Amino acid sequence: MGLTRRDFIKASAAAAAFAAVGVPVVRPKGAEAAEAGITWGKAPCRYCGVGCSVLVGVKEGKIVSTKGDPAGPVNKGLNCIKGYFLSKALYGKDRLTKPLIRKGNKMVEATWDEALDLIASKYKEAIAAHGPDSVAMYGSGQWTVQEGYTASKLMKGGIGTNNLEPNARLCMASAVVAFMNTFGSDEPMGCYDDLDLGDTYVLWGANMAEAHPVLFSRLIDNKLKHPKVKLIDIATRKTRTTKMADEYIPMRPQGDLAALNGIIHVILRDRLYDEGFIKEHVNFKRGKENAPYGLKDKEAFNETPADVKGLSFEEYKELMKQFTPQWAEKMSGIPAAKIEELARVYGDKSRKVNSLWTMGVNQHSRGVWVNNLIYNLHLLTGKICRPGENPLSLTGQPSACGTAREVGTFAHRLPADMVVMNEAHRKKTAGIWGVDPNKISAKVGLHTVEMFRAIDRNEIKCIWIQCTNPFQSLPNLNRVRKAAQARKAFIVVSDIYPTRSTEVADVILPSASWVEKEGVYGNTERRTQQWFKMIEPPGQAKEDTWQLIQFAKRMGLGQLFPYSEKGMHREIWEEYRQFTIGNGKDLAPYQAYTKVRGLRWPVKPDGKETRWRYTEADDPYVKKGEGIKFYKAPGNKVNVWFRPYEPPAESPDKDYPFWFSTGRLLEHWHTGTMTGRVPELKRAVSGATIELHPEDAKKLGIRNRDLVRITSRRGSIVLPAEINGRSTPERGSVFTTFFDETKLINELCIDAFDPLSKEPDFKKCAVKVKKA
Amino acid sequence: MPVSGIVVTCVPASAESVALKLAQLKGVEVHGVLPDGRIVAVVEADTVDGEVELVSGLEELAGVVSVQLAYHNFEQI
Repeated sequence: MGLTRRDFIKASAAAAAFAAVGVPVVRPKGAEAAEAGITWGKAPCRYCGVGCSVLVGVKEGKIVSTKGDPAGPVNKGLNCIKGYFLSKALYGKDRLTKPLIRKGNKMVEATWDEALDLIASKYKEAIAAHGPDSVAMYGSGQWTVQEGYTASKLMKGGIGTNNLEPNARLCMASAVVAFMNTFGSDEPMGCYDDLDLGDTYVLWGANMAEAHPVLFSRLIDNKLKHPKVKLIDIATRKTRTTKMADEYIPMRPQGDLAALNGIIHVILRDRLYDEGFIKEHVNFKRGKENAPYGLKDKEAFNETPADVKGLSFEEYKELMKQFTPQWAEKMSGIPAAKIEELARVYGDKSRKVNSLWTMGVNQHSRGVWVNNLIYNLHLLTGKICRPGENPLSLTGQPSACGTAREVGTFAHRLPADMVVMNEAHRKKTAGIWGVDPNKISAKVGLHTVEMFRAIDRNEIKCIWIQCTNPFQSLPNLNRVRKAAQARKAFIVVSDIYPTRSTEVADVILPSASWVEKEGVYGNTERRTQQWFKMIEPPGQAKEDTWQLIQFAKRMGLGQLFPYSEKGMHREIWEEYRQFTIGNGKDLAPYQAYTKVRGLRWPVKPDGKETRWRYTEADDPYVKKGEGIKFYKAPGNKVNVWFRPYEPPAESPDKDYPFWFSTGRLLEHWHTGTMTGRVPELKRAVSGATIELHPEDAKKLGIRNRDLVRITSRRGSIVLPAEINGRSTPERGSVFTTFFDETKLINELCIDAFDPLSKEPDFKKCAVKVKKA
Repeated sequence: MPVSGIVVTCVPASAESVALKLAQLKGVEVHGVLPDGRIVAVVEADTVDGEVELVSGLEELAGVVSVQLAYHNFEQI
């Protein structure tokens, strides 16, 4: 019996897997014929911030196959389990295909013209009556660079308001502020190569095995090959990551602030620091303390230069004397001896130490401070800007870096590290945009939490949401949902499926997704990746850039977007690129990205990428002989900040005795708009559960799968208990995920936020737990 | 019927026993075990749903570190 077409497909599958592990196999003749008719194109994965490269196979206008891209340096031919759902995510039965307009309680079909005319009339009406700051736009780190750039130009340069925010405020804002106040430039000095080259990895509250599986696999590969490699998991919950760690160090919520200060205390006390590095590169600073938690509307807190005090190294050492390991133990629950040990790990000159973190540190009422303290460890020991030893802030969304941060779709930002408060920055931006510099407002717009509170206060009259699901993902969700349901603002939502946000919309617009359009994403390691359109979007769905430009035309702002129909994505790129040239964030011409699997900026004049910033070994902005130069920081000196311990906004007490934390898991992504569509995912992990420590469960008389009522001061939900499942929280705390659209978990979450980054703390509030 | 090519990373000492377990599963073919503990396998099922159920199950096996996907064909074949 001869080989069937199916056998050849299987041979191709095996060959691809062998190639990915470095074993070349020749496919049998016929395998290629079996794949005949499939056209392959490259694209970054649609899901997380890791930025894996995928080969997408299209046949007769439909995606029929995907491969981990063997030429992709991030993932080297392999995808995580979410790779199974890449293509299916676009083919759900309930895809939005027509514009819909609210008529009372019903959404009725409309033409694009009707929908866009209505939106423009509402925006014009609000602006005429209440000024440009009465309207807003809320986008996402899933926006392509072109989409984010168009939105920014439209809102900041056209309408004249800075009320533009990305959902990255809920995700990365704390990391951004710390990059800026430490290094004077956003985004990491290191890159993923450090995962292969280092020998010590300290994870600060990050479940990398589930949230960043492909990167975790790289780290584990390194560990399996090199026995010296050590993985230390400091967390509030035992996870899949813990299973692979050499050591698990349980920590109390908010304990990171104390533990880090304790470790720094020991490094200073025992002279484990690098004096030469400190002398050459470091300033010591003390900022504003006793910060509020943002729980009151319009509560203002800023750390202006007048609030910052310079310190000498001696003064800094003196201040740090209070944070003894014994004190750190009391505050963090990590034994003093362990604090001493961690200091020696960071201080060990024979070890290449990396710190890794993500939401545990960023979604934190003192998230900027924790970021600052992690940088302190690396700056004091000089373990930074060297291959294999760096701090690496991991991101959550595919273009949180490329779009939200680099294009600058935050209420205070402009492209390439510039800000609206700076007159020179506004002038430069206005020059490239071809608008009057006075059009760009110097007033910082509303940050995310305040933006949605402002709907409740009747101050925001119109808001357009693209590519994200705030009416599921915001904290203290009841307040914002009630405000929306009371129709306090005119709400437009562009998305690909019905969500908990489209259900409160006045207009729903059907969007094109991923390879249904052309775009660029930028990942965690400064890698910019381009893809072309490969398939048509369904029905009348249109890409977000098109939607914004059609709206702009109706607002009388069409002249800001003079792009050709065919070359639009390239033309937007080349315009945006001007912002990046010559300031250390250099991007390449569009053409360059069409051929490669991304380039890490700054891209050098010869077209090559930069793996490590600020070092003469790689960064084109550092001359030979200069060694390490932090050329984006004032005076080329970076800041080590004194940041003390301050408690979270809400801690367990007699009435609400448990810590409540939320997070992600492997099989779902964000609010489940794409992964929730996929029935098999729903089967593998059907809905949200509440994880409890077995001893807590026993005390409460709760058995596995029992229904449990969890109540905070803001809301109450019922979830099945998960005991001894994939992960186990520490005693006294419970954990759940936020992807499940049938359970609005965030109704429980407090809307306290970091005073500097305005990023909410989704990881800490107090709840009571009872068998339902 | 969809087909996928996967790489199962194991704790090296467990690779042989994991490979044996995989080989016994309906819809999983083990194509090779590498000296570093990685297993190359082909998964097929009636639906993508079935494939994912299989693969999710593999993640829970003792000794398995991770399961990654190299190739996925879900054309009607």
